[in-house]
Amino acid sequence: MHELGVANEILNIALSESDRHAAKKVVSIRLRVGVLRAIEPGNLSFLFGHVARGTPADGAVLEIDEEPVRVDCPSCGVSDARSIPWECPTCGGAGISATGGESLEIVSLELDA
Amino acid sequence: MGTGGKVRVEVERSILRAADEASRGIRELLRERGIYAINLISSPGSGKTTLIEALLSRFEGKGGVAVVEGDIETDIDAERIRRLGVQVRQINTRSSCHILPEQLLRALAEMDLSGTRLLIVENVGNLVCPAEVPLGEDTRVVLLSVTEGDEKPLKYPLVFRTSDILVITKTDLLPHVRFDVSRVRRAARAANPEVEIFETSAVTGEGLPALLDRFESLGAAKCTSSASPTRS
Repeated sequence: MHELGVANEILNIALSESDRHAAKKVVSIRLRVGVLRAIEPGNLSFLFGHVARGTPADGAVLEIDEEPVRVDCPSCGVSDARSIPWECPTCGGAGISATGGESLEIVSLELDA
Repeated sequence: MGTGGKVRVEVERSILRAADEASRGIRELLRERGIYAINLISSPGSGKTTLIEALLSRFEGKGGVAVVEGDIETDIDAERIRRLGVQVRQINTRSSCHILPEQLLRALAEMDLSGTRLLIVENVGNLVCPAEVPLGEDTRVVLLSVTEGDEKPLKYPLVFRTSDILVITKTDLLPHVRFDVSRVRRAARAANPEVEIFETSAVTGEGLPALLDRFESLGAAKCTSSASPTRS
């Protein structure tokens, strides 16, 4: 349930942006979440709905873009993966390097002015 | 405003910013005082407290070591360390499955760190949440005992990605378990090509001197660099 802390942080940021723009309501929140963050989108949305109750972000929709891991393989090039693999998920080759998949960011908000 | 209509606001902001700020505060405090800090992360029971005991035996008589113990409920581990005559501070995280940087910053502010050169933080036993939260440490260490299985780097990739040192523990049990050390080495390197890997057994002592040497040289390097006349 570590999504609860994340949900609270999202709410804090959304409310401060909403205040700054004198908005009535937060309509939606677009997030970039790396697959390595162990965040289950359903859990996060459920918990966010819970913590946002009674605030201007009540009912706001979380739009979650998952960021994959990028695997660089010396034999076959680049591919995406949902975790850090032992070997290249495409050709099974060794000597890969894996980057990305760690983002945890609010990209944008849609506000009802 | 009140004119109605929807507005899109670009934010591009890390969700963990508050935690990042607290961890920068810790880093600053450690730098000012010339303290080298290690953050130990692993599953429950893989040997964090035992490794701390080994470290303490090495640093005995060499002055200031302080330990912060993170645990959900008890202070059993803190009591083990306290018996060795070392300053130890317990953080009970209750509902939180990792030490928050804000908690560590508060604990450090209440501790007597005069003369402390080495700070060891034992995080809550958990491979997921502690990986997400930096504590301003100089060296992040992940422990993996051979009884846990060799698929841990695939199952919990973030902690293997973000750790500087991987310690494979309980290697004396290798003849009795299915654990392919080379597979783990390969997976850990795929997650983090820079990771340093040590194989250790607290029972036979195998591998411990090399690991403790490494901590000592990392600590010495930090103290030397922070002793340089950069202070204003």
